[in-house]
Amino acid sequence: MNQFLYDQVIQRIPADSRVLDLGTGDGSFLERLLQAKQVHGEGVEKDPEMVARCIERGLIVHQGDILDGLDQYGSATFDYVLLIGTFQELLSPELVLRESFRVGRRVILAYMNLAYWRYRFQLMWGGVSPRLEATPLPWYESPNIQFFSIVDFREFCHAKNIVIKENAFFNTFGRVRVLPNFRAREALSVLELGGDQHGRELHGQ
Amino acid sequence: MQDQSKDTLTDTDLQDQNLADYQSDLGLTRTQIVRLPGFRTESGFEFQEIEIAYMTVGELSANRDNAILVCHAFSGNAHMAGMDADTGRPGWWDFHVGPGKTIDTNRFFVICSNVIGGCNGSTGPASINPATGERYAMSFPPVTIRDMAKAQTLLMDRLGIDRLFAAIGGSMGGMQAMVWAIDYPDRIRNCIPIASSMAHSAMQIAFNEVGRQAILTDPNWHNGDYYDRDGGTGPEHGLAVARMVGHVTYLSEYSMHRKFGRRLQRPAAPEDIFPAFFSVESYLQYQGESFVRRFDPNSYLYITKALDMFDALNGRASNEVFQYVQARFLVISFESDWLYPPSQSRELVRNLKRANRQATYVNLETPYGHDSFLIKNPEFTRIVQNYLIQDYQRQLQEKKNPGPA
Repeated sequence: MNQFLYDQVIQRIPADSRVLDLGTGDGSFLERLLQAKQVHGEGVEKDPEMVARCIERGLIVHQGDILDGLDQYGSATFDYVLLIGTFQELLSPELVLRESFRVGRRVILAYMNLAYWRYRFQLMWGGVSPRLEATPLPWYESPNIQFFSIVDFREFCHAKNIVIKENAFFNTFGRVRVLPNFRAREALSVLELGGDQHGRELHGQ
Repeated sequence: MQDQSKDTLTDTDLQDQNLADYQSDLGLTRTQIVRLPGFRTESGFEFQEIEIAYMTVGELSANRDNAILVCHAFSGNAHMAGMDADTGRPGWWDFHVGPGKTIDTNRFFVICSNVIGGCNGSTGPASINPATGERYAMSFPPVTIRDMAKAQTLLMDRLGIDRLFAAIGGSMGGMQAMVWAIDYPDRIRNCIPIASSMAHSAMQIAFNEVGRQAILTDPNWHNGDYYDRDGGTGPEHGLAVARMVGHVTYLSEYSMHRKFGRRLQRPAAPEDIFPAFFSVESYLQYQGESFVRRFDPNSYLYITKALDMFDALNGRASNEVFQYVQARFLVISFESDWLYPPSQSRELVRNLKRANRQATYVNLETPYGHDSFLIKNPEFTRIVQNYLIQDYQRQLQEKKNPGPA
């Protein structure tokens, strides 16, 4: 995820919100968020080295995997749960999203779009699987295990009765408004549960 | 992994080891005694007066906002750091308390006091009951972790400390820190329980009971009245066995394998019953004997019981218990600790977070079992040192810009 996208996330979080950042890494983004906005923020991170760096920044962090982190919290603790560049690394993305909606009201999720034209060409002409990270790793070293496009994600949300309150798409030059599934490398979605199923399980469970 | 031959203190604590060459940055230190009148235990016993042994390192800041209370674990004492001016032994947490160390005494005013019921200067079963002129022995009232914390609050009153910057402690020390956060919410800013538990499990109680039975069934225990008997022998053997069992539970399979393996201590001697005398046996015997010289068997009984009886919730709902807590928590566990396993620390974290309290949780990979907090431990130091510095700076900021936190 590029820095521009992180700024976009920060823009969408109102002051005084309570925010949980899942897969918070070294905490640099969470620290920026706390400095930019008067929010209460906490993080979940499993890598011990990253957790130590979060503490060096004075952040509140829980060492554990994402589901374990979510399980620590009571229902409706947060206004926003963030999954920035984390979703495609999850073994059970649906379960994580369900738990995120238990713990928080809204989810901001940012992901790489597998149907971005460069990735299509990599597969079509290069015959290699797309390398989605900013610094591309070979497939056997990449943490990504879920591969999906903007269209796939929209379908997923529809099937699970998750409402996309806002979508924003980006490539290296900035915002993409036309043909995002082809032209956008990254997508950012603000999600809510459909209907009034808060506190209930996602549709189809 | 560090080479043991270069640094023999890699995986050893400072409590009962042979440390002829050890030197402390703090030089000689001494504990003091404070007399606290009118102490009522949780069980309702009224002491006219109790004595609490304590030591302090560093200087209290002008606005008294830099006090850190170190709560010692089961077999610890008030002498946390420096070389004891009387015994010449290093403090049990000298690795972590001192100038530039985990708890930086250049920055913080650090206090440690011996628990009530203990035997290193504080009033305990071996003390004289002023009403009878005799030692309390088994007439000493049952003490609790809450009594220990209460005595610490009275000591802080004497030292002019309204609010701790932090209370920190491993194992039983972590329980005392928890009590501070729960029972004295406006008197503590940070609570740092390490390898601790909200309540002992059946397994933890079981190990303690083995230790207690070793003492109680020692023919020299004499219902606790062994202090001034002719010959002067008490249940030293029982206490040594109790310590041997306890000590095993503080280690890990890895640390024992690394330290001893299957090495033999010496060739078989004619008086040996069996032809093999393993290093680990010799080590445990040494630990037992060394412990007997510094610990009172009756204190062992009282304090292990206090540990077993401790329950942070005491039958109340978790939300009710934690709703008034103001302290930020840093909860630390060790992956290799099978006596106070990480699951017990996580339970505390979950209770705190579900009550909307602020808690940071770190599970360290240190492979040395429960003792991991007593040894030199760079990863532990990194976490605690940075946490304290960051929050101390935050506290300074808050004072500059008072307003909503």
